[in-house]
Amino acid sequence: MYGWRGRIGLLVPSINTTMETEFWRIAPHGVSVHSARIAGGRHGTPEELRSMENASKKAAEEVAMVEPDVVVYGCTSGSFFEGPEWNKKICEQLSAITKAPTVTTAGAMAACLMAGGYKKVDVVTPYVELTNERLKQFLKTYGIDVVKLGTFDMLDMFDHAKIQPEEIYQKVKEITTPEAEAVFVACTQLRALEVADMLERDLGKPVYTAVQASAWQAYEAMGVDPKIDDCGSLLRQLSDGGARRRTPLRRSA
Amino acid sequence: MTPELQKTGRIGLLVPSSNTTVEAEFYRALPRGVTVHAARLFLTRIAPESILKMVEDMETQAKLLATADVDVIVLGATAPSFLKGLGYDRELIAKIEAATGRSATTTSTALVQAIQHLGARRVALGSAYDEKVNAIAKAFLEASGIEVVDVKGLALVDNLVVGRLGPDSAYKLALGLEHSKADAIVLSCTNWQTLDAIERIERETGKPVISTSQASIWAALRMLDYRHGIEGYGKLLRELAPAGQTQTA
Repeated sequence: MYGWRGRIGLLVPSINTTMETEFWRIAPHGVSVHSARIAGGRHGTPEELRSMENASKKAAEEVAMVEPDVVVYGCTSGSFFEGPEWNKKICEQLSAITKAPTVTTAGAMAACLMAGGYKKVDVVTPYVELTNERLKQFLKTYGIDVVKLGTFDMLDMFDHAKIQPEEIYQKVKEITTPEAEAVFVACTQLRALEVADMLERDLGKPVYTAVQASAWQAYEAMGVDPKIDDCGSLLRQLSDGGARRRTPLRRSA
Repeated sequence: MTPELQKTGRIGLLVPSSNTTVEAEFYRALPRGVTVHAARLFLTRIAPESILKMVEDMETQAKLLATADVDVIVLGATAPSFLKGLGYDRELIAKIEAATGRSATTTSTALVQAIQHLGARRVALGSAYDEKVNAIAKAFLEASGIEVVDVKGLALVDNLVVGRLGPDSAYKLALGLEHSKADAIVLSCTNWQTLDAIERIERETGKPVISTSQASIWAALRMLDYRHGIEGYGKLLRELAPAGQTQTA
């Protein structure tokens, strides 16, 4: 039997090629990842991002059949675009369908920055201006200010995966400011996990990414310590004192 | 390894929604650089009426995989791809290819190709299925020119129950097959954990073992023109490398 320690139901935008790969890469023995695809376009327009909320319900019905221990809605912009209440609604809908706690990437982004007590952060995204503004507003409602935002400014979401980890490393280094207490790299299609640890070592401050933050909340929800020490401080925290010491997350943002 | 020197490819995998095994087995066996992207088709019971319904959703899900620009699409489900007998798998392939413009295969297609590739004419068939589905499986193989010398199944119809089995189940069932006249042993059902049992069964019986997940992985890698042997999961994957070429894991 696979997934005897924990089964992750992973809902990804259909165009996404990065998140499943990275989730499998960090999955320890006994944890399995089961994907379903959220129908939608590849251009990340407001209409497309909004339509993902409804389309995610079908994907949730499909993944519910593996009886997942946690469900991850793996899209940053698709969960922050219409604000915290919308994100909460997505979580509630998906949990009702799957009978499992749901983590969204935007919720995980806010949660990991709040857990560190960070109020001023730099952000790197692949998004266009409108989406970037929505991201800033989303974080603002959690009392987090974006000091500097650097973007690859690409509308095509499929092409976000073509940005090399080296380019993400350079972009973070180039834009980060001394005032920022932490950096967040948004978008689950960006291959940022590969450079998160190096960036933290080279910059001397926390650098969190969309896939990593989603995984962090998912493992917390399952109460599983994946014992990952080369993908940044956030995932290493899961090994501090045993996963079961923390209160399992239930359907929170 | 620098990315340029690494063979890369994306496999789109159509998975029955209640399957908890096949994604894991693909990820375990595939080399770094080849990634799997899954989409799910509704299936709860391994029974004809459930399976026919599943196929209806297949084209929609295949199109979702195409948006991730996968190189090949595999219908990673055995019973659904042999259900209507010989040629049905080809019909499904044609549907997927027409809907997506990608090369496609099915588990049943891969299974027959793998058996033929190993030069086996007679097989012993072990499965997770009940008698009804086993009879269809046997008829499909025989219509494909492969003699089935023995059939045994676990008589399971609830797919989630199949996914909860450990590799010992496949091992025990395989050793209980009458395989003395068989050229190879076939283990059928992509939700049945078989990868860990293959080499043990091969060692103890002296016969090559083809499991439906392993054959699907093998077929997908061949479609990607990946030709390096993969160790640990039986003769079929080990001999992916062309004869005479040094194998690398």
